[in-house]
Amino acid sequence: MTGIDTELYPKAETRHSQTSSAFKKAKKALRDERISGLTGAFLAMFIWGHLLAESSIIFGKETYNMVANFMEHTIPMAQPVLFIVTIAFFVHFIWASRKIPGKLRDRKRMLELGEKLQQSSKGWQQDPKSDIKLRSHFETSLWITQVRTGMIVLAAGSFHLVLVTWNLFSDMGYVGQAIGYTADLTVSRMSSGLWILYSVLMVSVVAHMAIGVYRLLVKWFADTWFVRNYAKAFFYLLFTFYIVLGTITILSASGVWEGLLT
Amino acid sequence: MARTLTFKIFRYNPTKENDEPHIDTFELEETPRLNLFTALHRIREKQAPDLMYDFVCRAGICGSCAMMINGRPTLACRTLTADLADTIELYPLPFFKLLGDLSVDTGVWFHDMAKRLESWIHTTKEFDPTAEEERMDNATANKIYESERCIECGCCVAACATAQVYPDFLGAAGLNRVGRFMFDPRDTRGEQEWFELVSTDIGVFGCIGMMACDDVCPKDLPLLEVFSYIRRKMNSGVKVAVTEMDLT
Repeated sequence: MTGIDTELYPKAETRHSQTSSAFKKAKKALRDERISGLTGAFLAMFIWGHLLAESSIIFGKETYNMVANFMEHTIPMAQPVLFIVTIAFFVHFIWASRKIPGKLRDRKRMLELGEKLQQSSKGWQQDPKSDIKLRSHFETSLWITQVRTGMIVLAAGSFHLVLVTWNLFSDMGYVGQAIGYTADLTVSRMSSGLWILYSVLMVSVVAHMAIGVYRLLVKWFADTWFVRNYAKAFFYLLFTFYIVLGTITILSASGVWEGLLT
Repeated sequence: MARTLTFKIFRYNPTKENDEPHIDTFELEETPRLNLFTALHRIREKQAPDLMYDFVCRAGICGSCAMMINGRPTLACRTLTADLADTIELYPLPFFKLLGDLSVDTGVWFHDMAKRLESWIHTTKEFDPTAEEERMDNATANKIYESERCIECGCCVAACATAQVYPDFLGAAGLNRVGRFMFDPRDTRGEQEWFELVSTDIGVFGCIGMMACDDVCPKDLPLLEVFSYIRRKMNSGVKVAVTEMDLT
């Protein structure tokens, strides 16, 4: 059912009042959905760029310094982007979390259904030889994963944002260092143990981002040529690419593989 | 060699005093091309005459025999035992009111949904029985037909985690029904009426995209396509509504 002809949609014939409570409620629901979706899409795209920029450490400290210098001093975009991202981060948290059931009992109910629902793609066939094995329904579990990773990102990401704000505007007391990020700063910090936190944050943020993009695409564009299967393929692509890239970046930045490709 | 199938069936009769929900186990020889509907008949004939489950058409049209088969909501009449493991677990659909054992009341929910959505053609046109029928282009007719194929079995709602938590949520069946009338040029409901009806947290924006409905629908309805059509319609619909407001 691709390419639905929008001409078919009946012409507006207003019988309801524009100031009715139903209309206001509907407008609010649409606004909420737009805010959570748009901030999510923006943050996802930011993460794509952010992780690519960070991965410059793979090519050695000089490359990293060059990229950092370019983004902080040549074209000072890091500072305003940090400001915008921080706002988007919390706005997204507030608006996106409205879909998480408030009661523990309800969350358990969702979890239960997600886990008990047989993995059931359209071509589903149970192996007649095996005894019943209940596997979770993939996309339902994805959403639950997204809630969980979202909470991790909220905690670890808040810390990360505070740290970045601090670093971006100070020289951190390193003698002879410019204000802002340098490879030395990053490497010394990562190798002193922060790689643990950043590993958790990286995996969570990548999973959260990839799942979010998948769901966003299906929710808004499933009736275009970009059908669910493409969105799912895109999800796997995003997830795999950024997990691999993030892992190599963290390994390089924490000094295990210093300048891996140099 | 024929398999001996083990059926673990949820049993509970709410009308019987002191009856507790429990699992009964039955064994049945598998015969060629046996489907679950026939299997349940055999169990009832020979082993458990008081076993309750729904059926009407045994051809995947009436939507009565939907149940949780090994954790998946689907139609018993369209499930061959050959596709299943030796042990088969049968539970009633969640979400709906349990009538007893595997039988649930989907009718009340669907009736309520149809009333909430006013699921009939809204038109101010006087019906003229002598006039020639209005023609509809084939593409439109096909879109309406695709959504109309819903048999109201309730599998999509049973599989939906959102519906389990928010009982007012329209669910896939409800949203699909809205889509069916949105496609229909005979329905004269305007943007704003649709907007108020489905641009809500129990309407299209209640859906958080877990896609289980699309995975379990025994009729392979294009559910996700209908949802994103409605979504984008709602997204652009408000613009029209706001402009109208400015003009008045």
